[in-house]
Amino acid sequence: MHNKVDVTPEAAVRAVMRDILGLSEEQVAEFTAETELFGALPELDSMAVAGLLTELEDRLDIMIEDDEVDGELFETFGNLVAFAEMKVTE
Amino acid sequence: MTSVPAFVDYEFGDRKELCLCAASRASRRVLLVPPLFDEMNRMRRMLVDVMQSLACLQVCSFLPDLPGTNESLVTLDQVSLADWQDAIQACAQQHDISHIASFRGGALTIAAMPTASHWIFSPAKGATLLRTMLRTKVAADREAGRNTGLAELAAQAESGAIELAGNIIGRELFAQLNAAEIPEMENRRIVRLESDSKPADGKIAGSALWLRAEPDDDPAMSAAIARDIANWMMQ
Repeated sequence: MHNKVDVTPEAAVRAVMRDILGLSEEQVAEFTAETELFGALPELDSMAVAGLLTELEDRLDIMIEDDEVDGELFETFGNLVAFAEMKVTE
Repeated sequence: MTSVPAFVDYEFGDRKELCLCAASRASRRVLLVPPLFDEMNRMRRMLVDVMQSLACLQVCSFLPDLPGTNESLVTLDQVSLADWQDAIQACAQQHDISHIASFRGGALTIAAMPTASHWIFSPAKGATLLRTMLRTKVAADREAGRNTGLAELAAQAESGAIELAGNIIGRELFAQLNAAEIPEMENRRIVRLESDSKPADGKIAGSALWLRAEPDDDPAMSAAIARDIANWMMQ
């Protein structure tokens, strides 16, 4: 078995966005803190958001509660990364 | 060898369920167990590509419909996880298959076959799959002006059937899935994506098509999966 490698919250968010949107590594590397998500990316519907949250829980070993999820969280890539960073230090 | 898959069937209960079969004359046979719910739809194209790649490698493959899914005449709300486990076992027995390759939540349906050889791709716990589906329900309820939560919906599912992301899930299926862990098998090979940091016996390059908002294919990944399965079957 391979050893478990720790991923940074930002790398995890980037990897999940890549899987959901079907982007290349280069495309998702261009995401900055200001990159707009919800509203700007039509693929990011409620099903995709549900998958994203569960996948982040799984990859970062965190639990995300209902009341932590609001529209602001998905406004920008930076908001989502900041949230993930906050959750792993909890 | 022809690589156009054709439908065959298997008997389960008092009826027949369909099963896609490729390269039926090859002597080596593998049963592909699809992911569950939405992920099944998003990965069907990929699985059929895997079947065609396996056919080129002289491996016959079967892709059954789980009762209550695809062309099955049973409704999903009548089906439990134990039924899926029995159905997969019945399909393997009827087509004389001892190698089982299961994908994602499909790995939860192989528990009735501890003596078979298992190849498992990126397995998912039942509770994880349900959590995503419960979240879509919370989002839909919010849009309709109802404020529900994950815990509340889970409690609701314990008392009766619940509709989650277009699937009507009975009480039994929900409870069994919620408790379902990836089965420990004597003879198993776990394969994951290179980007996945969890322990694995093998890695495949590619991306998680089951997460893709728009269903997609990845021929290179499908071919790599087929090669890994074919090599594993030779051991």
